[in-house]
Amino acid sequence: MKKVRKSNGPGAVRGFMEGALFLAVLIGIWEISIDLFEVKAYLLPPPSAIAAELWVSRGELFEHGIITMGEVLWGFLLAVGLGIPVAAVIFFSSLAKRTLYPLMVALQSIPKIGLAPIIVVWFGYGLSSKVVMAFLFAFFPVVISTLGGLASTPANMEEHFRALRASALQTFWRLRVPAAMPSFVDGCKVAMPLAVIGAIVGEFVGSNDGLGNLILLATGSSNTPLTFAALLTVTILSLGLFYIVEILGRFVWWRST
Amino acid sequence: MVALDMSRPVAVQAESRPAIRIEGACKWFGDLKVLDTVDAEIADCEFVSILGPSGCGKSTLLRLMAGLVPYEEGNITLLDTPVESPSGDVGFVFQTSNLLPWANVRKNLLLAAELDRKASQPDEAAIVAMVETLGLTGFEDSYPHELSGGMRHRVAIGQALIRSPRVLLMDEPFGALDALTRDHLNVELLKIWQKEKKTVVLVTHSIAESILLSDRVLVMSERPGRVIRDIRIDLPRPRHPSETRKDPLFGEYAAELGRLMGVA
Repeated sequence: MKKVRKSNGPGAVRGFMEGALFLAVLIGIWEISIDLFEVKAYLLPPPSAIAAELWVSRGELFEHGIITMGEVLWGFLLAVGLGIPVAAVIFFSSLAKRTLYPLMVALQSIPKIGLAPIIVVWFGYGLSSKVVMAFLFAFFPVVISTLGGLASTPANMEEHFRALRASALQTFWRLRVPAAMPSFVDGCKVAMPLAVIGAIVGEFVGSNDGLGNLILLATGSSNTPLTFAALLTVTILSLGLFYIVEILGRFVWWRST
Repeated sequence: MVALDMSRPVAVQAESRPAIRIEGACKWFGDLKVLDTVDAEIADCEFVSILGPSGCGKSTLLRLMAGLVPYEEGNITLLDTPVESPSGDVGFVFQTSNLLPWANVRKNLLLAAELDRKASQPDEAAIVAMVETLGLTGFEDSYPHELSGGMRHRVAIGQALIRSPRVLLMDEPFGALDALTRDHLNVELLKIWQKEKKTVVLVTHSIAESILLSDRVLVMSERPGRVIRDIRIDLPRPRHPSETRKDPLFGEYAAELGRLMGVA
């Protein structure tokens, strides 16, 4: 009997191995180069020093990471919680489409990094200013993707629902909402890493803790290995949160059909 | 040569009370006149095809009957009620199967009933029977993307039938399918029609399909569409694609319709 070879089984493993190997080689070159060219550790530490710092400061990194994650999640959830109703209002009200929507586009054009100082003045050094920053970064993609999703309901499906004598409410819940989900999920995938950036920017401008704060402190005291360790932690946090969205997004499996 | 009476006047007086009556219906899209004083009567339980060149307004005419599109002039009554909005007595089958991609076959079938609480709700036995009639047994839990094009259209027909409408309006439902699948579905459609005795109006651009299925074929002109001929298809039933096409009468009808459509 002929055995059918699964196309992505060994291929996926091999692809991962190749990627890991490539990364290992790069890290190796980095490590050797630092020695070879006698680069000062406060300028660029060798990977081994960063790894050691990750281990030594693991408690500290974890604590600050949890704080940053809280800021990101609150900001993200706020963006989703406000973004969906705002998108729905813009979608259903032509007045909102003429007034609220252009205003939002205009506000989106403000460099939000420039807003960070005043946000800290308004909301203080604590959690809330970072939540607001994360929210500001995540809000727009959520609104735009939800709006796009709602508007993308195929015309033939709308007509079909009319022929089936569906009420406006039924058409909304049973057709528009599920039809908008794929686009909404895509928007969330964009919004989550942006929320991380927002929180870190907020921490840079004014904070007592969080990974952004740690990066500032470590760089200020020339503890470059800690800077890199904190940066790596932010990256892992951002990736982790992205994959949570990605996995939750799989419930909207009709995205890919 | 078989003598055919092909010179029937437009709008034959139906024997019984008509299921659908169209009197002087006109339709504009902006300044564009798409339908020009259309008159037609479709009897109860009759199978009528509307045949016409593309862009002649035949799909629009069907939508007027369904209450999906408003009309400016004339009168359309469906089961003695003036058509103003979609009726619960009508099942509409679209050119595209229009299934919800996130719902399986069963849920897609039930959707039609669930959306109209006033309609009779099918019980479990009715669903099982419907799935069987459609030849979808074993696929109840499959999702649209797992089905072939023909199967998706079966589900769409089931959606239209599940509320037991008295009138079935079909807008080129098999237009996108290959010839073989189309023949299969035509056979199924005839079976369903013979079993359930409904009034069916089918919009098609296939001459063969219209002859195979219909009691009458209404031929429409180029835009602005008018009904220019009303041809009764006197072929014996039950009909079958391969058998019926061998009937010399079939060729006569095909030639006549082809001439009217300007292709022969």
